[in-house]
Amino acid sequence: MTRPRTPSARLRTGVPALVVVALLAVILAKGDYRANFFSGGGFALGALVAAIALGVVVTYRGSGVVNLAGAAVAMYAAYVYADLRAHGDLFLPPLPNPLAPIEGLVHLAGDDSFAVPHWPTSVSFGTAMGFWPALVLALVFCALFGLVLHVAVFRPLRHAPVLAKVVASVGVLLFLQAVVVRRFSTTTQVVGPLPFVDKTQVDLGLFKITQEQLFVVCLVLVLAVALWALFGRSRFGLAVRAAAENEKGATVLGFSADRLAAATWVLSTVVTGLLGIFVASVNSAVDPNTMPALIVPAVTAALVGGFTSFGWTTLAAFGLGMQVSLVTFLGANESWFPKAGGLPVPGVDLLVPLVVIVAVLALRGQSLPTRGVLGPGRLPFSPSARPWALRYGGPGLAVVALIPGVFFLSPAMRDGLTNTLTGIVICLSIVVLTGFIGQISLAQTSFAGLSAYTVASLSTHHGWPFPLPILAGAAVAVVAGVLVALPALRVRGVHLAIATLAFAVAVDKVVFANSWINGGFDGATVTTPDLLRSQDTATHEFLGVTIGDGTQPNPLTLVFCLVVVVALGYLVANLRRSLTGRQMLAIRSNERAAAAAGVNVAAVKVLAFGVSAFIAGVGGAVIAYRTGNVTPDKFLYDKSLMFFAFAYLGGIASVTGAVTGGLLVGGGLGFTVLNQVFGLPDEFVLLLGGLGLVVTAVLNPEGVAGKARTDLLALRRRLRPPAPADPPTSTDSATMADSSTPAEPLIPADTATPTTGPTPTVPSAAPTPNAAPTPNAAPTPVASGSAAGSHVSGSAGATPAVAGEAR
Amino acid sequence: MTALLEIDGLYSGYAGVAMVRDLNLTVHAGEIVALLGPNGAGKTTTLLTTSGLNPVMKGDIRVFGRSVRGRPAHRAPREGLAHVLEDRSLFYQLTVAENLRLAAARSRGDLDRALSYFPALEPLLGRRAGLLSGGEQQMLAMARALTSKPRLLMVDEMSLGLAPVIVERLLPVLRRIVDDTGAGVLLVEQHVHLALEVADRAAVLVHGDLVASGTTAEIAGRAAALESTYFGAGARTDDRTDDRTDDPKAAPDAVPDADAEPDLDADPEGSR
Amino acid sequence: MTELLRTEAMSVVYGGLHAVNGLDLRVDEGRLVGLIGPNGAGKTSFIDGISGFTRTQGAIHFRGRRVDREPAHRRARLGLGRTWQSLELFEDLTVRENLQVGAERQTVGGFLLDLVRPGRQRDQTDVDWALDVLGIAHLADRLPTEISHGQRKLVGAGRTLAARPALICMDEPAAGLDTTESEQFGRRLRRIVDAGVSILLVDHDMGLVMGVCDEVYVIEFGTRIAHGTPAQVVADEKVRAAYLGTKAAS
Repeated sequence: MTRPRTPSARLRTGVPALVVVALLAVILAKGDYRANFFSGGGFALGALVAAIALGVVVTYRGSGVVNLAGAAVAMYAAYVYADLRAHGDLFLPPLPNPLAPIEGLVHLAGDDSFAVPHWPTSVSFGTAMGFWPALVLALVFCALFGLVLHVAVFRPLRHAPVLAKVVASVGVLLFLQAVVVRRFSTTTQVVGPLPFVDKTQVDLGLFKITQEQLFVVCLVLVLAVALWALFGRSRFGLAVRAAAENEKGATVLGFSADRLAAATWVLSTVVTGLLGIFVASVNSAVDPNTMPALIVPAVTAALVGGFTSFGWTTLAAFGLGMQVSLVTFLGANESWFPKAGGLPVPGVDLLVPLVVIVAVLALRGQSLPTRGVLGPGRLPFSPSARPWALRYGGPGLAVVALIPGVFFLSPAMRDGLTNTLTGIVICLSIVVLTGFIGQISLAQTSFAGLSAYTVASLSTHHGWPFPLPILAGAAVAVVAGVLVALPALRVRGVHLAIATLAFAVAVDKVVFANSWINGGFDGATVTTPDLLRSQDTATHEFLGVTIGDGTQPNPLTLVFCLVVVVALGYLVANLRRSLTGRQMLAIRSNERAAAAAGVNVAAVKVLAFGVSAFIAGVGGAVIAYRTGNVTPDKFLYDKSLMFFAFAYLGGIASVTGAVTGGLLVGGGLGFTVLNQVFGLPDEFVLLLGGLGLVVTAVLNPEGVAGKARTDLLALRRRLRPPAPADPPTSTDSATMADSSTPAEPLIPADTATPTTGPTPTVPSAAPTPNAAPTPNAAPTPVASGSAAGSHVSGSAGATPAVAGEAR
Repeated sequence: MTALLEIDGLYSGYAGVAMVRDLNLTVHAGEIVALLGPNGAGKTTTLLTTSGLNPVMKGDIRVFGRSVRGRPAHRAPREGLAHVLEDRSLFYQLTVAENLRLAAARSRGDLDRALSYFPALEPLLGRRAGLLSGGEQQMLAMARALTSKPRLLMVDEMSLGLAPVIVERLLPVLRRIVDDTGAGVLLVEQHVHLALEVADRAAVLVHGDLVASGTTAEIAGRAAALESTYFGAGARTDDRTDDRTDDPKAAPDAVPDADAEPDLDADPEGSR
Repeated sequence: MTELLRTEAMSVVYGGLHAVNGLDLRVDEGRLVGLIGPNGAGKTSFIDGISGFTRTQGAIHFRGRRVDREPAHRRARLGLGRTWQSLELFEDLTVRENLQVGAERQTVGGFLLDLVRPGRQRDQTDVDWALDVLGIAHLADRLPTEISHGQRKLVGAGRTLAARPALICMDEPAAGLDTTESEQFGRRLRRIVDAGVSILLVDHDMGLVMGVCDEVYVIEFGTRIAHGTPAQVVADEKVRAAYLGTKAAS
């Protein structure tokens, strides 16, 4: 291994264990610490996190997917249950209606009364339902949903790259959230209490807890033990483990890996949904944002358990859930707690999962994937260098056409276009990181936000003149990007997605929710030159043309954004053609082969994170200048997810894709057109985004722009004769003679034929490509067992070469 | 005798290129058939296709009288097909006992009977399969296949990576199994001499073409010719091993198969 | 002859199994050395070990320097190149770009200049030389997915060759080539050696190995069972036993 001084196995488990024990000792020793750590609320939260984490582990073991939508399933189930109990309605997600466009067109023509038949939005069961029927119905719904997830989404992605699976689960997460927001809005829903337990306090000696809380805790513990027994003891559990490790081996024993995976999906959605319902009942409320965010501690706990151990996962989940109230207590009462502007720093409880993730990954990760652990698989196509005219001509024309157009667009369209342009910048940063070098980051808007707040502070409080804060903000983003890159050197695929997601969630609270930084209720003010300020309504005379129509937004803001997009797009396009770009794509294709070709994989990865964060940072600065004040809502982690979704939808591997992504982005031009022309309401953006993401990941992993390009390529290939075979004379001196390049005459033509040894004229039995097996007589249990193997090692049956051909 | 396995004019391969061409082979109950040939001859492809893990391009395979075409791969094992894969496909994370339990569909008795052939595994039941030695792993793979009480057993490269002593100990076990249970065995083996010792009939594949088949004695009589296919005098008549997907000429039947036959009789010393 | 690569009691262990078990092997400058053995003998593990892709025990000396603790990319830059059994080409890059990744070294200044002038002229001598030696100059602008398997094999070798290594370890380069391609490939191997690059050739194609190699090592179970000229090795009883089974030896 290229890592000579690895910590020994004893150190790897010993040191973290010691730290945990020491922390526990401190907590137990101090009475008020203990009371806050072992609090009823903490236990309930821990139970929910544990249930979500258990669901994540179950699906991972069954299908190798780290389901980032796990927590959203809990939330969705709680809504289904709450609605059944309150109104007896089973609400349905919006279903695709092929007639809808007709209605849109008729409305457009002026007849607003026209309506086509629509799908029902809910199925009514009459009046409010009792506890048991509502529970059973909600759980049946969960089971069906799990089955649909498997059949429609994750089964087609079984042999897909990790990226596609992450994208699909993000898509499901966005979709579920959007459906709930569409049906119930973002306000909190009241959930009725459980019938058989109440809020009576139970004294357990060390701490007190309500009956309800005790019930959910016991339920989770029972579930954990049941799952442990199921997977450890039963034939079903053995078969799931076997199929995860070696699908082919399980098949020849008569097991269908597909059905096993389906069963685990159903199992996980039911377990997660059950606890989602109960905890919502205990808390008497559910909202669309709180529960889905619990995926971060849940996945952290699953990571601690190596995505296999139910015991460790449950323990870690309770720990991560219970520390929240303790940290809140410490912030309020301890003088040593970090303060910002006199108040305790918010969100320290969210830093805990991040620290745990980084520690676990640092201890378990590998700097290069070992044999038998597949890489991220085939990623979307990345366009190769194109001729000058095509490369700059098309985009140049578009920009030239756009500049005068800017001044004729309606205010709404101007706004949409500006959103699109800032969206393109963020998408470009994702293109570099995910498209070029194959690393997944779900923290791009965090980088942008860090930059935006830097810009606000420097321009307002330190009086830096206009363009300088942009560079300073980008520099801050680069520092953050490089910091995130450090764990990325040893982990890849879904683990990196988890780490960056945890980073984003922590930054949301620690930095963006920090009133010392965020400027409180009004947001942080950015001192923007009047010419660029979006709210500026003054008109300007320029070469006899009046710029601006006296309404917001200011068209010059648009021009400013356009200039930035063009500059960054140019840089990204150039990066692809440079040696660094080649090295990035080489790493994306194959880290091991890149290292064998002398590429310093670690250095190039850090560079890519730096470049990507720089672009995101510039994007954040532009957003700051554009609006004149910075509010956290533009940079929260769910925005990162959304941008990732739209960048992927557009086509993650090219500048064209970023532009397409920018057009699709919420509030962007595409959406504005839909909204203005067809009257599509706001919530549909995320709904369509999430759904589109899932569909794209499953059907068309190269994104919209990538698909168009592939079709073009296929057409070109069909028009062109097949690849030329080696010219028959090319073997010896002929090549040298024919060659137009002045190669140094290292090999005199006359010595080209071997003069020594027997000539290899004896035909022989050569192994064929597929029958030549890797000498894997030596199994690598370490490699296949480690959590770092983000693939189910059993699926290694599809060799990379074959997978490559499948294109 | 009943034919457990009938391979009928089979073409099979990968990415549109046939690795096996026009293969005919049957295995009856109570006999051991050896499928021989040098590396890359298409032996493993044949077994994988029989198990439904690789698609049939042309022709047909019938296992227990049922065509494998369009059948999910996990069905035939439930009817008594066992396949020891080339990479053994043990579950390294599971213990020896758990590996065996997965195959034991019905009763604990099957497990004990399978273990009786490999007493060396008894003390290792609680150990993780990944920690076994190569020989022990091969024994486990065989024992696991036997636990499912197969009517037809396919063994791919039993000697792969094993010391000759171990192989010599394993092969007679195959004969005992056949004698005890009346199962049919299809044995793929690179080590010609070992395979010929235990088999009843043998077929030789070279580059996807069946170049010889007959009783063990008939094949053994041409051992010298067989050796030549291993040490560099085998016939290679075209680029059929090339998996270029864009080449329409790589169609299966491009080259007459007769070419391969004479080479078997070539003087093996002639190549050196 | 000057020693280029020497391993001393090198072992590769996977979970208690010795894939390579105390192997001593030496490659001198200007030599084409074959390494053969039955399936699972530990050949690929050996190459993985010396090129830095799996942890090893024992010593590896390369150009008079101990390299067994160096990371993989540094060994490559020292001149220890390797190819891959499963090709592992960079599928998104053209053939020429594949070779460029191996040939070029990036600097900070170069990176910044690239962002502004990506098309600037670079020294392509090594890339062109490698394309020529392997006879794939006419494919330079194709993508790996657009060319035949045999041609892809050559690109894999070319990527390593373009870095001008002192030694190339080739893992099954002839697998999947037909007879003509394999013969052609053998001649190209000799040309590479004549140009001053040593080769350690791992292959199943006995015709190729015996035809072009100066000397051959035979391993089984990770240990050496024979070493000598091709003729000596083919005549060796232990080798025949390893390939045909024990009875051949008697």
